[in-house]
Amino acid sequence: MRLAALDADAGAALRVIAYFDSLTETRAGLQAIVRGAAVLAGCAARLDDHGRRVHVRVDAEGNAAPAPESVDALWMRTLLVPDGSAVLALERTGEPGPVEAMILERAAGAARAVLDRTRGRAPAADPALVELAVDASAPSDVRDQAVHQLNLAVAGVRAVALPTGPALLPPGVVPSWARAGIGPAVVPAELPASYAAARVALRFAADGTPEDPGPTVVRHDELGALAVLADLPAGADVPDLHRLEHATTAAPWALSTLYAYADAASLRAAATALRLHHSTLQDRITQAAHLLGWPITTPAGRLRLQVALTLRRLRRHP
Amino acid sequence: MTQTLPPPFDPELAAALGVIHEMLPPFTLDSLAEARGGGAVAGPTDDELRRDGAFTVTERVVPGLGDDPDITLLICTPTAAAGTLGCVYHTHGGGMVIGDRRTGVDGMLDWAAQFGLVVVSVEYRLAPETPHPGPIDDCYAGLLWTAAHADELGFDPARLIVAGGSAGGGLAAALALRARDEGGPELLGQMLMCPMLDDRSDTPSAVQMDGLGVWDRQANLMGWSALLGDRRGGPEVSPYAAPARAADLSGLPPAFIDVGSAETFRDEDVAYATRIWQAGGRAELHVWPGGFHGFDMMAPAAAISQDARAARVRWLNRLFS
Repeated sequence: MRLAALDADAGAALRVIAYFDSLTETRAGLQAIVRGAAVLAGCAARLDDHGRRVHVRVDAEGNAAPAPESVDALWMRTLLVPDGSAVLALERTGEPGPVEAMILERAAGAARAVLDRTRGRAPAADPALVELAVDASAPSDVRDQAVHQLNLAVAGVRAVALPTGPALLPPGVVPSWARAGIGPAVVPAELPASYAAARVALRFAADGTPEDPGPTVVRHDELGALAVLADLPAGADVPDLHRLEHATTAAPWALSTLYAYADAASLRAAATALRLHHSTLQDRITQAAHLLGWPITTPAGRLRLQVALTLRRLRRHP
Repeated sequence: MTQTLPPPFDPELAAALGVIHEMLPPFTLDSLAEARGGGAVAGPTDDELRRDGAFTVTERVVPGLGDDPDITLLICTPTAAAGTLGCVYHTHGGGMVIGDRRTGVDGMLDWAAQFGLVVVSVEYRLAPETPHPGPIDDCYAGLLWTAAHADELGFDPARLIVAGGSAGGGLAAALALRARDEGGPELLGQMLMCPMLDDRSDTPSAVQMDGLGVWDRQANLMGWSALLGDRRGGPEVSPYAAPARAADLSGLPPAFIDVGSAETFRDEDVAYATRIWQAGGRAELHVWPGGFHGFDMMAPAAAISQDARAARVRWLNRLFS
């Protein structure tokens, strides 16, 4: 059998489906699945699970290549888990064709089943390596080695600040952490700078609870000039924060209402987000503005509200 | 015997089997012409055999045995090999009914490049048009010519092995028996890959795998019938047709035998190795779990296929070093 003889017709797609279904049925291992992807696609394929430190790479002839080379951000790839810590890739750049897309989808499905089955035994990522990679005080060759060991020696990698510590985000991967600050995309040598920015961004990230409404994942790239607010000394007296505190204490609904209003494109959108009738919302906004002591429906007043809400969040996340 | 569950196929091989079944020609006498013409069994072209100049490719037409017609030998000689060359004399597979001198030569070239071997592959006449002993006579005539022309072909006659897969493995085993019996060429070894050895096809594995995998019992009986006609399974079958029939397996060159656990030939191949040992001979036996017939050629990328090929290379390395 030369599976590489598969071409981009419907029959080929059916064979791909049958191939991976069979591997799943017989509980084949990860290497068999990655090998299937490589041989079916006619190029090297790899599975990198950073969380479990599982790295499987197979060349187009089906030979296991245990020392993975560095990754290319443009490879055809699919995520095995939503947080992007496990990726299945074909080492071929460009947009996947129909058969390649089918191979990625089916191989990922089969690999997920194996990973789920073996999850309990999989070793966790070494947080020490990630900490080294973003540590500005570590020698650059040590950082470089850590990035290679994490298999993330690729331009476009981002440092991520989580409440628990640093993480790394490979290019092209969508983050789905509960609360995170994300640094700019950099070459691996600049990860400490990316992490410093990520930590700033994390302070702007809310818990997403009624007591702390706001965006839960913040990219430093998108903060722009707002980032300077983080430089405000912790003890600085900001009267608007007292007024905000007064309003939220006086009316339990005030915080969520003010945030929804400040964040939404229109009053109607805010009403939808709060599931309120817009005339009800209108009444509440009037009342809240009275409690705050400044008008909030003017552009300047709305900006003042947004800054106050942002500073409140920064104070909650020092 | 009690009907038992067959051994499961290796997971990767099981997944490949679906595609293989789509691509393989059906094996019945009625559909032979179609199977012979199909692309699934096409061998490499001259250009592919040359491997970018690593081999020179020639063909020689040499006499058959007695009044038999001439036969063609495909000869591939490594161009860059240093030191003394050996020779692998190849008998192709195809159930005695299909294939030609190019079938399976690719695998021979891999060894030839590594160990410095001249590859000689024989075009023997096929059954049912040519029943036994025509095919083995052609193979033997080619072996005699090859050994006699070692100087001209540029190899050391002390480094001559026979090799074949499936029906070709059976023919290679028969060549070793015949060379022993008739004072033919001294062989350094016999490489028998999932060899087709026993026309009776009544072992537990043949029964167990009936209708499953590749080259099941029905296909096998068809092949043997093509070769032997009414003689198949009867008392008068020559060991040169079916080496399992040989009463004496002593005095043979070292044998390498491999076979899948999930194929018709498992038990007859295991028995052949066992009988060689019982006769005081040398044999290396590999039974690959979950392997169907010819798995390493049809699903070459599978891990177990890589291991099977590597085991052959390791044996050759011990043989030639």
